[in-house]
Amino acid sequence: MIAPAVQPLAAPVAERRVLIRTVGLKKSYVKKGILTEALRGLDVEIYAGEFISVMGPSGSGKSTFFNMIGALDSPSQGRVFIDEVDVAQLTAEELAYLRCQKIGYIFQSYNLIQYMTALENVTTPMAFGGVQPDEARRRGMRILEIVGLKERWFHRPIEMSGGQQQRVAIARSLANNPSVLLCDEPTANLDLHTGQEILDILVRLNKEQRVTIICATHDHRMMNVCDRLMWVRDGRIERIARREDVKIEIGSIGGKRDAAKASKEATP
Amino acid sequence: MKPIVIQEQPRLSFSRTVWIAVDGIRYRLFRAAVTVAVIGVAVAFLMNILSESFIKRAVAANTRDRIARSRLVHQWAARLMSPGDAEGLLRELAADAPGAVAEAARFGGLTAAEAETLRATARRAARLLDFLGEINYARRRQLVHAYTGVDALGYLATADGERSFIETLNRTAAIRLPFSREELKALIADWPAARGRLDRILSGRRAAVARLAEARGGRSILEALAGAEGAFGDEIRAAGFAFDAQTAAPEVAAQARRELDTRWIERALDVRVARQMVAQHFDALPGDVTVMQLWRFVASESNAARFLEAMKAAGEGREGLTAERVVELAGFRREASALERAARLTVGVGGGWMGLGERLSWLLLVSMLVCAIGISNAMLMTVTERFREIATLKCLGALDGFIMLMFVLESCMLGVVGGIAGGLLGAVIGMGRMLAAFGGIAGGAMPWGALGAGVAASIGVGVVLAALAAVYPAFRAARLAPMEAMRVE
Ligand SMILES: Nc1ncnc2c1ncn2[C@@H]1O[C@H](COP(=O)(O)OP(=O)(O)OP(=O)(O)O)[C@@H](O)[C@H]1O
Ligand SMILES: [Mg+2]
Repeated sequence: MIAPAVQPLAAPVAERRVLIRTVGLKKSYVKKGILTEALRGLDVEIYAGEFISVMGPSGSGKSTFFNMIGALDSPSQGRVFIDEVDVAQLTAEELAYLRCQKIGYIFQSYNLIQYMTALENVTTPMAFGGVQPDEARRRGMRILEIVGLKERWFHRPIEMSGGQQQRVAIARSLANNPSVLLCDEPTANLDLHTGQEILDILVRLNKEQRVTIICATHDHRMMNVCDRLMWVRDGRIERIARREDVKIEIGSIGGKRDAAKASKEATP
Repeated sequence: MKPIVIQEQPRLSFSRTVWIAVDGIRYRLFRAAVTVAVIGVAVAFLMNILSESFIKRAVAANTRDRIARSRLVHQWAARLMSPGDAEGLLRELAADAPGAVAEAARFGGLTAAEAETLRATARRAARLLDFLGEINYARRRQLVHAYTGVDALGYLATADGERSFIETLNRTAAIRLPFSREELKALIADWPAARGRLDRILSGRRAAVARLAEARGGRSILEALAGAEGAFGDEIRAAGFAFDAQTAAPEVAAQARRELDTRWIERALDVRVARQMVAQHFDALPGDVTVMQLWRFVASESNAARFLEAMKAAGEGREGLTAERVVELAGFRREASALERAARLTVGVGGGWMGLGERLSWLLLVSMLVCAIGISNAMLMTVTERFREIATLKCLGALDGFIMLMFVLESCMLGVVGGIAGGLLGAVIGMGRMLAAFGGIAGGAMPWGALGAGVAASIGVGVVLAALAAVYPAFRAARLAPMEAMRVE
């Protein structure tokens, strides 16, 4: 393992370890000579074992941020440290190992492999990780059962509804028991009930297995389960706050009606 | 709490990779079938042109050979009837036919050394004449005025002629002699003596021809040659011709007899009963009956017997001609017309690349190009439309090497299947077409070795092109960061 390049900054919660840290993260795209700045300098620390929600309007750079901290794309400027290791220093093999074993991704557009069945989609990361096919199938079926698609394991993505595809994507992200789960709007296409089930799964993973969960969402129920919230706007962090503080605000202002309603519904 | 310990991703075993690639093909069976079909068609096209070229080449060599042999009797008839001219003799000597030099020495009363010198001069002279025949009229006019053939050589041998020829050569850089100036000088110096010897040989031949004309009496030359294995053959040799008793004589005699019989049968159309018989058989008017119909009629033994009978009844019988012989002659006739047809269809084959002639080599080149473009297009498409998939696999932890290997394996499998199917299909179509065009000649001359090599080569072309065309885009996609690959269009 590579030695930490930078000493961790003083953490707000002293006993917690910083798992992911970004320093001056910038990303810009050049398309047809037009420069789009998706991220304009992000400095965040995400602690091991926490559940953090990332919120922000469409086009604010949430997905871009995910790609950066998930080691799926290289930043234009700045650095990403995962467990104090600079991602830019990793070799191709180490990156593959990281993506395969340590991070689970749920993409906004699912990115399922179209010609594979649900089960094969789920077992593909296991195959890359060296799990034997029989064992992989067994584990894949168990995970599909968790997301409620056990009966549909043989369906191809085109034969499934958007919500079902999303659940296959969630199942796939759990294939190798990751330490970090990056979820890009994991409940966007699900009805209230199924969305709640998925949230429960995420919460359980977070509480029982101490999986770090980073979750982009517009779903305000997320507020009831996450530890911290982070608002992004125009590629910058607008605000990071602990859930308790935010709930008090919403309670006192009562401005965001839908949000308040959603949190009331979700809170027993 | 789960710690993150980063290790190296294990490499998938080769067999697992093969299985994943095979699974991929199975899942996308229809798409793979389309790709295989495209590769197959491209390879089939290449192989079709290749096999037809090979078969045509073989047929052309075969027919030319056989036609030349079947003309042996006519060559001899011409030689024995007239002494020929100086240029013909010159070319005969230059062509280095066996026995030609010795024969010339006999006719001209030359010593062996003189004959040898004459042959060397004849070779140079023939090359110069070829050269003069190939350049355009204006140039030739500049070089040798209006003289042609041996007269041009005679003109060169005069002082004026030589000077103006050399001057023109010096002046015009575009004219390239096929040999050195020294050789030209030697030729010019040797020519007057050579010309004298040629004339002596020709007069010797003239005497021999006259002697043979006397020997055959009132018979035509063909009738005389029909007996070439016996007395007339000895007569030919005695007159001084190099007429080999073992090789040439039996063949010439057989051809002469065949020719005589054939002419007799074809003349039968002048006999009314024979014509009517054929007309009745083909349900045609007697006036419309053709020679080919006559031959088709007598191709069966019963018809041939009836035909001979009728001819005999009409007082036109021929000694020693049996029905079997007539059928045999019909077979020869059929073969001869097939040979002529084959020779006509393979005009221009020979020389050029791999002895295929200019047209076929060009066609082959174009088909290779079409094949290469077809295959690489098919493979480029199948890989580029899967960039998203490559990106996704990379997100899930696939190594670059795995992705490359997967695509190489897949394209090799598609290439092998498409190549084998296309290669065999192209060869079969080519053979079928050539059999239809040339019949038995193609069947007998089928170049199996070349065809086998062609099939192997086109399968190889299919596999290698498919693999190369897949490797490049797969390599490009595998090298990128996953999300960058996802963005490529
Ligand atoms: N490949 C690209 N080329 C150019 N611009 C891009 C590209 N990808 C993203 N962007 C731009 O970067 C900005 C951030 O995009 P991003 O996908 O991160 O937004 P987001 O917060 O995930 O939005 P949403 O909530 O709709 O998913 C957008 O303005 C977008 O137009
Ligand atoms: Mg997004």
